[in-house]
Amino acid sequence: MIVRYLLAALVAGLFSGVLMTAAQEARVVPLILHAEEFEGEAAPAGEGTTPATSDGAATTQEHSSLGAVIFDVASALSPISVAYAHEGEDHEDGGIMFGMSRFSGTLLANLVTGTGFALLLAGFSLVSGNPITVANGALWGAAGWLAVHMLPAIGLPPELPGFPAADLTQRQIWWVATVALSAAGLYLLFLKPGILAKIVGVVLLAAPQVYGAPQPSDISSNVPAVLGAEFAVAALATTLFFWIVLGLSLGFANEKIAKAA
Amino acid sequence: MAVSTTSSVVLSANDRLVAGVFALLLGAFLVLGAGLANSAVLHDTAHDTRHSYGFPCH
Repeated sequence: MIVRYLLAALVAGLFSGVLMTAAQEARVVPLILHAEEFEGEAAPAGEGTTPATSDGAATTQEHSSLGAVIFDVASALSPISVAYAHEGEDHEDGGIMFGMSRFSGTLLANLVTGTGFALLLAGFSLVSGNPITVANGALWGAAGWLAVHMLPAIGLPPELPGFPAADLTQRQIWWVATVALSAAGLYLLFLKPGILAKIVGVVLLAAPQVYGAPQPSDISSNVPAVLGAEFAVAALATTLFFWIVLGLSLGFANEKIAKAA
Repeated sequence: MAVSTTSSVVLSANDRLVAGVFALLLGAFLVLGAGLANSAVLHDTAHDTRHSYGFPCH
């Protein structure tokens, strides 16, 4: 029986991951590609303190050495797109897994991420003892979107390549903590009866926002602001779509697979 | 027993916890691996996904 619940999450996650890939290719990826055209250039005014600076300098230096010529030839023959590898950043052994195309990499990552979120949602439902059905699936999805995307985005808006940002590790810690606190807060707010639970829930939702997300010291960027605004909305809209599909399909899979034994 | 309602409790409380905790751990592993892991290959493969999902990236 346990396996059937996990199978239901797997099916819902893969399905949602495929639909999410289509939504991303339509609304989000074009904006990422557009932003990457600005990413390598030096910022107009003092970007000297941000870690992302090395981009521009490193790219120009590379073209003067013999190694760079070999690199250019190799990258021309390689199936991996160069712009994608973020040349000049401090990791050098990157590249897409198994020599896949950029699209295949994104699709694979969406399948893994979709399955991961489906398992997290299913696990949350199982542990808390509140079944996900077709009737309430969209609400579960919306709550997942709030916890994983909307509430963390208040402190760390979805960022385009080339955007200035604070230390990566600190942002990741804040992000994970905010997702966990938001999920706990939403659980108390929506699923636990009693006024005390509601109050504690609101406090948990507000705590990471009051504490504040790590912010960059210098916010200058080459990427046009309009692009950033379009991207933030597109990223939140497509993830909302993903979570609604995920909640509904998980409810459907629960009823068809998990309980059909 | 041919009729099963969707609201019926199929798993015992203990099985439910086991399944739930296992799902949470596996799900966290997958999401953190695709979204946050500090590996160049994982980063490049999942690059567009990380940005689209708003994971802290770069």
